[in-house]
Amino acid sequence: MGDAPQIAGNGIGRYRGNMNLTNKPGVLFQPNVQNRLKAGIDLIVNAVRPTLGPHPRLTVIQRTVNDMPELLDNGGIIARRIVEIQDRDANMGAMLTRQMLWQLHETVGDGTATAAVMFQKIYNDGLHVLANGGNKMMLRRYLEEGLQLVVKRLEAQIQPLEGQAQLTQMAQTICYDPDLSKLLGEIFDIIGEYGRFEVHSGRGRELEREYVEGVYWDAGLISRVFLPEDAPRQVEFENAAVLISDFDIKDAEDLVPILEELMHNGTNHLIIVASRLSEAVIGYLYRLNHTSGRLKIAAVKTPLSLPSDLTDMAIFTGGQALTTASGRSLGTVQLADLGRVRRARADMNHFGIIGGKGDAPLWRRHIAALQTYHAQVKEPSERRRLQERIGRLLGGSAILHVGGMTEPEIEARKAQSERTGSALRSAIGCGFVPGGGVALLECQSALKGCFEDRDPLEKRAAFRILAFALEEPLRTILTNAGMDLEAWIGPVRQSGSGMGVDVRTQKLTGMVAAGILDSAGVVKAALQSAVTTAALALTLDVLVHRRNPPQSNTP
Amino acid sequence: MTEVLPENYVFSIAVSPTFVHDGICFAAQQSGLYRSTDGGNIWQNAYKSLGQETAIPTHAVAFSPDYSLDRTVFTAVKGSILRSTDSGEHWLVSGLPSPPPVVSGLVVSPNYPLDGHAFCATVEDGVFITRDRGSRWATWNFGLLDLQILSLAVSPQYSQDEILFAGAESGVYRSKNGGRAWKAVSFPVDSAPVTSLVFSTDYGVDNAIFAGTAKGGLFKSNDQGNHWEVISQFEEGIDQILIGHDFQRKPENVLLEASRLHYSADAGQSWTKRRYTLPSGEKITCIAAAYGISADHPLLAGTVNHGVVII
Repeated sequence: MGDAPQIAGNGIGRYRGNMNLTNKPGVLFQPNVQNRLKAGIDLIVNAVRPTLGPHPRLTVIQRTVNDMPELLDNGGIIARRIVEIQDRDANMGAMLTRQMLWQLHETVGDGTATAAVMFQKIYNDGLHVLANGGNKMMLRRYLEEGLQLVVKRLEAQIQPLEGQAQLTQMAQTICYDPDLSKLLGEIFDIIGEYGRFEVHSGRGRELEREYVEGVYWDAGLISRVFLPEDAPRQVEFENAAVLISDFDIKDAEDLVPILEELMHNGTNHLIIVASRLSEAVIGYLYRLNHTSGRLKIAAVKTPLSLPSDLTDMAIFTGGQALTTASGRSLGTVQLADLGRVRRARADMNHFGIIGGKGDAPLWRRHIAALQTYHAQVKEPSERRRLQERIGRLLGGSAILHVGGMTEPEIEARKAQSERTGSALRSAIGCGFVPGGGVALLECQSALKGCFEDRDPLEKRAAFRILAFALEEPLRTILTNAGMDLEAWIGPVRQSGSGMGVDVRTQKLTGMVAAGILDSAGVVKAALQSAVTTAALALTLDVLVHRRNPPQSNTP
Repeated sequence: MTEVLPENYVFSIAVSPTFVHDGICFAAQQSGLYRSTDGGNIWQNAYKSLGQETAIPTHAVAFSPDYSLDRTVFTAVKGSILRSTDSGEHWLVSGLPSPPPVVSGLVVSPNYPLDGHAFCATVEDGVFITRDRGSRWATWNFGLLDLQILSLAVSPQYSQDEILFAGAESGVYRSKNGGRAWKAVSFPVDSAPVTSLVFSTDYGVDNAIFAGTAKGGLFKSNDQGNHWEVISQFEEGIDQILIGHDFQRKPENVLLEASRLHYSADAGQSWTKRRYTLPSGEKITCIAAAYGISADHPLLAGTVNHGVVII
């Protein structure tokens, strides 16, 4: 069985080709374990390695026999596409690497190639130490000890990322697309760390951006009858009341008391948020809109992510979240239960509020509490959900419309926009460090003088391994740019703090001054992932294969 | 032809940047906008060219910093911003989006001659910005968690730092990109609403900003608004804070607290009541430091029922 990868389709387990995988259970022991894991690790890393740096080379992934192959420069996606390799022992090393890279991609959106090359370097150098009689558990311990020193040195280099110019430079370092970088710099200068950012396919060939004010939920009008005849795409109310509920309203009679109160009270507009209205109720409200003269009503669907959306709506507007689960019904609704808004808009897909009239300090505390919670949550999908919720509540979204000549070009640029956006978001929160592998190279100094000749072999080896691994991203960037490694590494080492090679101009330069920046959060996460995963992989001694391993539905 | 200043509520007074030479000032009142060219003694209806028979309540007025050359004045009425480029002789009207916003403050970029930026705070609709010298105004409320803006201040270093502060019902918000986006700063939410804000005139050196609240707290930040501390506590809400032009050398402040005037010569650490005489039962609504803010310099004061008085 060879080491050639079997790239199995555009997704997890969708296509397994004509692979000849044995189903026999089996156990593999040393010395074969390390070699086979290494083969798998090398395979994934070597597929990702060419993508590092401002002159990335692409990895081409076959989709199906007749489709155009997928062109990728994102290590996380490349790793995700490789779902299995034929050598089932090597496959374990490959999947270990794949999982690390995908987790990193999910968490910070970038840094996968950096992590991959460091991981490979640490693992391969670690194998040499073990072959020379090193103790794997001690080696792991000292690698993790050295990591703490390196992280501290990295953190000392962090500078805050502020302003459109810096954001544009950072975006340029990530996506190498000047037009896209300029727009993303502007967008993230406006929406900040939590702001809502959507990427849509554009109609033309250009990039365009749009800013939408207001707090929006993905829940539109219950029926088209609520759209006004003179503006058939959207209904807009000023100084409206909002009934916030998950009610299934079947009988129009139930609405009459609150509608009478509203008319008495001088309110001209009402938005009903409800999970369902019967045809009879919709018809009643339609007639009312066309006969009452003053009171206009629209009904929107209750957002799906109950109960958080109703709570948000209630705090924002100063109303009550009326849910059947809490024992509320339409008959118990009073005027004081309704929220109030300055402006409300709804179309068939969205409901938005501009200027909720709830208690402003309470609203601010509510968002601050969500932000605190977001900072504590580690699970990527929960973090993403919270971040989207906070972004929505901050009251505005930016939409980037990505155009292009062909559908694949648009899709590739959309993916690039999202990836760069994620990294910018992380960088706004965590700051930046000098890019081009220079910040990691600078961290070598943290390991100098931290070990002596009398220290155990494993400690000396671990610190040396780390020092070499910290150089690996810079080496890879230079190699990918076709530059002479030996001619440049020496001058970079000697040129002092923050200096590196701008491979686009092939000159030694101050990386920050040249606008070559890396997100501190991304670099730190890549470093930590690489070291801890490699340290763990070095301790693996036995591989166990099942007869019919279950297929995972997650990457 | 001169007119008597109508004796009704004064919302705002603005004095020309070269007031000591030209004596020009405007008073935004319930009954309209009035202009004086003799330091506030004689006033004329500045809206005469509009030909309106009914009064146009005017809530705010602000001069261009380059007024001596561009003669530009902005005023705010419900739902619109008016702009004059001939010192109030004629006006151009720019409508604000419906529902008609009520303006709580107008500020003009110190770099207005070059950037054409001006900002308008509203009671329910956040902040409106113009970047074309007042032709078009648009809301820019990204990050403003409440749109009830009660005070607005622009950095004296705006051309370099693009910093603005907005005082709101829920605290203080800062923009570092010319008002395109806002972020709440660590001002204590319990102390809000923030009714007045003023930058140190030496902000580029001392990074100081003052904030007055409806609960009487006078706060100061010495680090561009990142941290705030109470430096004085007054009995009632602080309506306005004035700051000396040479604050680094002479750290003087004047503060208006529910019709009471206070003077500080030590950057707001200690205060003495500033005495003045007003008709019985009258109250001060706003002040302007036409001649400087030292204790012996007269101030222009807007009142509830007696228009503008010099005290």
